[in-house]
Amino acid sequence: MNASGFVIQPSAPDPIFRQIAEQIRRLVASGQLVPGDLLPSVRDVAEFHAINPMTVSRAYSLLEAEGMLERLRGKGMTVGGAHTRPTSPDQRLALLDSQLRAVARQANELELPAALVLKRLRILMEK
Amino acid sequence: MIDQRKSSDEDPLSCLELHHGFGNRKILEGITLSIPRGAVFGLIGRNGAGKSTLIRILLGLIRPDGGESRVYGCDSLELDDTVKGRLAYVPQQPESFQWMKVGEMLDFIRAFYPKWDADYVDAMLHRAAILRGARLADLSPGERQSIALIRALATQPELLVLDEPAAALDPAARRELMREIARRAGDSGTTVLFSTHIVTDLERVASHVALLHHGRLLLDAPMDDIKETHARLRFSTDVGIPAHFTGELSRRRHDDGSLSLIVARNAGEQWPTLFTSEGGVRESLSLEELFVEIVQ
Repeated sequence: MNASGFVIQPSAPDPIFRQIAEQIRRLVASGQLVPGDLLPSVRDVAEFHAINPMTVSRAYSLLEAEGMLERLRGKGMTVGGAHTRPTSPDQRLALLDSQLRAVARQANELELPAALVLKRLRILMEK
Repeated sequence: MIDQRKSSDEDPLSCLELHHGFGNRKILEGITLSIPRGAVFGLIGRNGAGKSTLIRILLGLIRPDGGESRVYGCDSLELDDTVKGRLAYVPQQPESFQWMKVGEMLDFIRAFYPKWDADYVDAMLHRAAILRGARLADLSPGERQSIALIRALATQPELLVLDEPAAALDPAARRELMREIARRAGDSGTTVLFSTHIVTDLERVASHVALLHHGRLLLDAPMDDIKETHARLRFSTDVGIPAHFTGELSRRRHDDGSLSLIVARNAGEQWPTLFTSEGGVRESLSLEELFVEIVQ
């Protein structure tokens, strides 16, 4: 993975460190990042996205404290062994819950039938 | 205040109970703040809120009506050359040395700064496509701003103070400036104070944010905490709603009879259940929405 792989939205209601942490969580849960995979350096992520390096550090430290990431001397941050197995679909779905709730609420506000929203979601996912 | 930072003599910038006004108009009404080493401190506020005045008092360029301010522990009004050599300041509209050519001005300034980074200057002039032979007076406001920023950053300051640095820059130049600020903070531990009314700039690079409003500092807190410790509460009617909630920062009554409030909690604490038991809906906010809700 490299620095450009993160999607950062400074004006979203979630703080940037949480956006980074959640993306890593999702990539690990889905098996796109596996134990031993190296994460981009704090400096590279900060530089690419023009964000404060301390924010990136905070995201990495948070996941390190949870055991999801491991700091390897001389190498940097890697995906740790504790969260190695891809989790069940239910657990992975739970990581999407807040986004899905937001979509559901807005779809209801727009009075869109579920079938139409699901059809569009399917097209986006199969791209 | 939520953030119980203690000021220390080592803080690059600090002030205590600053008061200032022009004529009958009060601008600052008891400002106390401290900016820790390595912080990127973003100061936001409406035009005319007094951001420039506060910055100029912090740097000793204006004598306040009351209170005191310090730069690296040294009284702002009595800064010696050692302290001055550690800081760089770019005012909102850099006007100095207008009669000089770009190269002449930079060579002149260079003589005063032992740490002058000539390679950086060359690279930045090239990137901004500004010629050394151009007369400063003939440059566009954006180019003049770029030159002032290059000049300030070339001195490799430990403390960088920028008053509305992005005002005259186009979006690409602004992004590049934000990248440079983040880089300096990360690599050299440079402390940065910058004022802006462009909130998205601040969301990228600031480690701390303070909002100057009606002469006081609101929301003085670490950037990463601000979005999680502040929220909007909406009530469809103001009937039976307590006149004041704990942590309430502002309250607006809308034409349709509904009510919206901005509330804050301490980091690590839960939201009081009282909010939702009164029928309120709590929403997370972007910094821009938070800013607009409070200053309206």
